Amino acid sequence: MSTLQKSIHPDEKYKAGKLGKKLSGAGLAIALLFLGLSIILTLVSGTANSGHESKWSRFFHAYVIGWSYIFTLSVGMLWLILLHYLVRGRWITAIKRIIEAMATAMPIVFIAGLGFIIPLLAGYKDLYYWAHPDAAHDHHLAFKLGWLSPEFFAIRYVIYGVGFSALAAYFAKKSRQQDETGDPKISETLRIVSAPAMIVYSVLTCMVGFDVLMSIAPKWFSTIYGVSFWGSGCVGAFAALALLVLGIQRTGRLTHSVNAEHYHDIGKWMFAFTFFWAYTAFSQFMLQWYGNMPEETHWYKYRMFGEWQWVSIAILVGYFAFPFVFLLSRWTKRIVPSLVFFAVWQLVFHWLDLYWNVMPSYDWTVTYHDGARLVAGPLQGNPELHHVGFSPVDITVWIGLVGVWLAGVGRGLTGNLIPTKDPTLPLSLAHEVQ
Amino acid sequence: MANAHDDHHDHAHDEPAVYPDGELYGVLAEFDTPGELIDAARKVRDAGYTEFDAYSPFPVHGIDEAMGIKRTILPLIVFGGGLTGLIGGVFLQWWMNAYNWPWNIAGKPAWSIPANVPIAFEATILFSVLTTFFGMWILNKLPQVWHPFFRSDRFAKVTDDAFVLGIEAKDRRFDHAATTKLLKDAGAIAIEDVHLEGDPRRKQMPKWITAFIVASTAFALIPFAIAAKARNSHSSEPHIHIFPDMDFQPKYKSDTAMDLFPDGRSNRGAIGGTVARGSLNADDVFYRGIERSESGGAWTTGFPKQLEINDALVKRGQNRYNIYCSACHGFDGRGSGAVPLRVAAGGGAWQARNLVEPGGASVMMPNGQLFNTISNGFNTMMGYANQIPHADRWAIVLYVRALQRSQNAALEDVPADHRGSLR
Repeated sequence: MSTLQKSIHPDEKYKAGKLGKKLSGAGLAIALLFLGLSIILTLVSGTANSGHESKWSRFFHAYVIGWSYIFTLSVGMLWLILLHYLVRGRWITAIKRIIEAMATAMPIVFIAGLGFIIPLLAGYKDLYYWAHPDAAHDHHLAFKLGWLSPEFFAIRYVIYGVGFSALAAYFAKKSRQQDETGDPKISETLRIVSAPAMIVYSVLTCMVGFDVLMSIAPKWFSTIYGVSFWGSGCVGAFAALALLVLGIQRTGRLTHSVNAEHYHDIGKWMFAFTFFWAYTAFSQFMLQWYGNMPEETHWYKYRMFGEWQWVSIAILVGYFAFPFVFLLSRWTKRIVPSLVFFAVWQLVFHWLDLYWNVMPSYDWTVTYHDGARLVAGPLQGNPELHHVGFSPVDITVWIGLVGVWLAGVGRGLTGNLIPTKDPTLPLSLAHEVQ
Repeated sequence: MANAHDDHHDHAHDEPAVYPDGELYGVLAEFDTPGELIDAARKVRDAGYTEFDAYSPFPVHGIDEAMGIKRTILPLIVFGGGLTGLIGGVFLQWWMNAYNWPWNIAGKPAWSIPANVPIAFEATILFSVLTTFFGMWILNKLPQVWHPFFRSDRFAKVTDDAFVLGIEAKDRRFDHAATTKLLKDAGAIAIEDVHLEGDPRRKQMPKWITAFIVASTAFALIPFAIAAKARNSHSSEPHIHIFPDMDFQPKYKSDTAMDLFPDGRSNRGAIGGTVARGSLNADDVFYRGIERSESGGAWTTGFPKQLEINDALVKRGQNRYNIYCSACHGFDGRGSGAVPLRVAAGGGAWQARNLVEPGGASVMMPNGQLFNTISNGFNTMMGYANQIPHADRWAIVLYVRALQRSQNAALEDVPADHRGSLR
């Protein structure tokens, strides 16, 4: 046999066994521990501050960050699946089951999101300013409230949840079918479906960015926001993929099927999206900074001045400059400890990026008129007076939601961890093998 | 070789029709698949050969490792190129915008990093790409227009579907029989010896190529020579018009001489005693702000009867005022608009007229005179008749009146039931 194709190594362990159940159990434990801790921390915390009436406001802001985080990890991998079929990719086939497990965590992700959707529907008004009754008095916002109403928001959320879950489930299910039937036509069907699916996927992903994150600062707008959000998400998704594949190899599985070339390619994608994110994020900044229109620049004003500028600089250096320069080299992506370092690094900075997107909007300004208390919403007043105001809840909610996500990923790690009858498998197994 | 050369000179009158091949240059072996090419390359490498190369229609991944080629230093060169582009791009912008020719554009800083990022980015890309391209050519010793292997017809197939390994005879381990056997054992489907050219005349570069290079180089220098001459000589000839029909068009520009008409002007002004349709503007109050009476004319103190004085007209006036007037007079009419602020930023001192100063000229002016000032200007202020239609000018007059009222308001102007909310 030529070296360009290989069959599964006879000693290969590719049955998931109890791996998925164990991961789900560990994830659930992490989720219960850290979300419980977050609730306790919030309960014992003082009264409301930063213009909010409810002391749960910090918790829910952190929740939106954590939810966006786990959503991007799954949505990035769903994209990789669609792309794989769309361009008849080959290299990922050996790790496709792991990618599918990450993408099919989508229903769990959207169930976890009910943690902030249900309070919103129940009338909680200290998370999204557009849900606050005072927003109606703001003539910059009034015309947006048709779109940004809790009910319509929840309807869209359900559409996103069903859409993403169905896409992920369909591709994973068909691929599993091929394990049994070995029918190469399934790959062809998925290739045809992947093109319209990619369009639906792109629209939905951008809309999630607009709805969940951009509307935290409801007066601000940026059309590239969804793309930038997705790019940042893919950095995290590929970093998570690298760690998950390594973790599974540590259990003695897939040791013959996944080689340095696969890690190299995951690393390349992580590198590519690091730059893609920086490119889109800078495009957004550049146009608004240069255009200098108050309705756009106010979002950056609170990130360029005051305490938040240090977070902005940390992201610029830590999320872009440092990993960019080092991931340029071939070896940083091929040597496992180095890849692990950058994967963990980018996973932390991906969180910081989302934090930076959401938390400056946490401080709400309050004014008084004729003795009545009026909330003027986020991003108001002197930026120098806006504090980063770090809270331990920011971290614990995030870790808790990552636990939920791991539980969801574990559900997908069953049966064969290699798509045994995928026609592209021999090519993936021999991926640039030396 | 030396013999053949001598023969050529000694027996020029009876040279053979076909020269024999020259000395052996190397051995070519064709393989069926890229995978077999990689396997064969590995075997040849392991046998200790160094002077060999693999040829394929497309890049074969892993071939460089199989051949034992050291990793290329091209990435380092490209990194250096990219860094040069980055630093050069930033330096270029700094030197032009902040050092050599700083220019105040709307008060923006002459040197600001965010504005420099796109150029720096593009310069980085450009230099990286150029160093990649030329670095690759230089490291691969390209362009190489001729190679002895080209003499083999089989070798031409590497641009299409053949995977070929060529071992050169200059390799110190080269031994014709042993090397051929090695390639055969490695799975070659065809093996071929390649010899150098035996015909001494064909070993020379054809003279016409040399002549062509010399001629085209000389030809390419002509434009530079013309430019150099033009820079160092004077000429009394008019310069060359490449598009004369664009440079000399059969038309007359305004305010130029023309002998067709008795007054000798190209302009055709309005004919005396006539008014263009729609330009009569007979209403002196609306169009000029003047109230005519038996004893002459005076600035009107009211507003033209065509206009209904209402909230909408004030709003319209505010809108027009903010667009046309506020740049100098300021949004509040006190004369401190963006232009005076800019003058102050430049170290000067100039204020536009304060339109709302109690007892000031603008407050005391009749409405008609305000209208006339907007239309025709005052001191350094240019007239706005061409930019603002008549009705809009009246709306501005109305808004200026409202400004004067509001900026000089007293407590008594506030309705009694709202006075409590003032702080």
